[in-house]
Amino acid sequence: MMEMSQFATVIGQPFMQRALIGGLLTGSLGGLLGSFAVLRQLSFFSDALGHSALLGISLGILLGLNPTLVLIPFAVLFALLVNLLVQRSQLPTDALLNIVYSTSLAFAVVALSLVTTYKGGIQQLLFGDILGISWLDLALIAVLLVAAVAYLLVSLRAQVLVTLHADLAGAFGVGSQWHRIAFILLLAVVVAVSIKAVGVLLISAFVVIPACASRLVSRRFGTYLVLSSVIGGGCAVLGLLGSGLTNLPSGPCVVIVQFFGFLLALGVSLWRRERGRAVLA
Amino acid sequence: MAVLEVEGLRVVRDGVLAVDDVSFQLAAESDTALVGPNGAGKSSLVGAILGLIPRQAGEVRILGHRLGPAGQLPAQVRAQLAFLPQALPLQGRLPLTVAEFVGFGWDPPGPRLPWSGGGARRSAVRSALAKTGCGPLAGRLLSELSGGQLKRVLLAFCVVRPRRLLVLDEAQAGLDAPSTEQFHSLLFDLRRSEGWTVLQVSHDLDMVRRSCDQVLCLNRQLRCSGRPELALSRAQLERLYDPADVPGPPGRRAPQGSPRIR
Repeated sequence: MMEMSQFATVIGQPFMQRALIGGLLTGSLGGLLGSFAVLRQLSFFSDALGHSALLGISLGILLGLNPTLVLIPFAVLFALLVNLLVQRSQLPTDALLNIVYSTSLAFAVVALSLVTTYKGGIQQLLFGDILGISWLDLALIAVLLVAAVAYLLVSLRAQVLVTLHADLAGAFGVGSQWHRIAFILLLAVVVAVSIKAVGVLLISAFVVIPACASRLVSRRFGTYLVLSSVIGGGCAVLGLLGSGLTNLPSGPCVVIVQFFGFLLALGVSLWRRERGRAVLA
Repeated sequence: MAVLEVEGLRVVRDGVLAVDDVSFQLAAESDTALVGPNGAGKSSLVGAILGLIPRQAGEVRILGHRLGPAGQLPAQVRAQLAFLPQALPLQGRLPLTVAEFVGFGWDPPGPRLPWSGGGARRSAVRSALAKTGCGPLAGRLLSELSGGQLKRVLLAFCVVRPRRLLVLDEAQAGLDAPSTEQFHSLLFDLRRSEGWTVLQVSHDLDMVRRSCDQVLCLNRQLRCSGRPELALSRAQLERLYDPADVPGPPGRRAPQGSPRIR
């Protein structure tokens, strides 16, 4: 009974309610975009963008600006720059991303060490502070979620065909280049907006883990997209509740719950395969 | 009216002149084979016709509409155009069923909601799967298909909506002999019943002799064209596949580029 009343107290806090809504929105958004990002091999892109974002945040602190406002243009520039590098260079994409993100990280750490006033907050930058999320942040994430859902819904055919075969897509009237850049920009903005809640180190888990879990168990593309968003949102809410009850840091709690979700999906897919074999035998 | 008109087409790819001053026309409901050694510019020619790669000079007109410099075509013309690639290398990555995939073939180009089309879309998909013998595959994932099944599903993707021009890039690549035979007889039947005009890149000269009514022999330039029995005579083939004539470094030619002459 003690636990129930403790639970009610935690839920009753306005900051916790904001955190839960924020987690639900961020998690669903990450899962939705992740379902395409994973198929297009952009998992490492979101990771590199997350790490590089620390530079954007440090610049914001140095200039005395709101980090979220600096992060969005920073992420867009990063995405365009990486895209240009990948197009123009003969080097493999993962190597290029590595160069860009380790350099950004190095500059960010140097910049942060210059700012004496911010040293206490480094952990919040690395792991996020979903409990400190404001109504303005929530509104921004909600707008982004609506925009992402609308764009992906009306361009679903283009997204699938571009992922499957660029020439096939082009021959059937899909501007592959245009959709590729639009998706990368959308992913960049989503990563930038989610970083405050999730932190630069764990942001890519929000994009990658729910999508991979959904991929393991889905047998239709529509199911895959919806399930990926549901896993993303559901794991975020469970992780935050766990974090609220145990006083453990919120971002890592969510990622641990996501990982258990992934293990569950892996178990289901293995069990299905075994059953399929048994039926055939 | 010709379904496809190509005039003085010139394509440079990676700094190399891949297609030089090529002109030809495809009459409605004809079946034309594009043959030539590897590195002869077949893929570049196909890419330029479909508007996938830019052209340096020349004109391409599809159903009387000029292809724009960046591959632009009016949407209603684009919707009548179909392309069948050699393979889908990433088919295993997407959890996409055969029916979902073929449904995307029915959707016209441009933004639209995935559920628009409703019953008409579903019945078009069902009928396309039936025409290509893919009915039982509807619920399968693309990753679970054999090479021959995937080719038939790609044909279903083309046949799900009325088309005028079908371009195939080495349709028989990766298929064993019975699957190749089955694929070509299905393509032959569909071409007749659907009124398709077909342009196919092919290395299988026996098949070309049996089923095509025009051959274009390409080695950067158009070396010969006409009915298969004339264009594929031994003398013409020796000229076409003459190693001294093939542009580009000789090491890049793979053995399957040489013709099979019986």
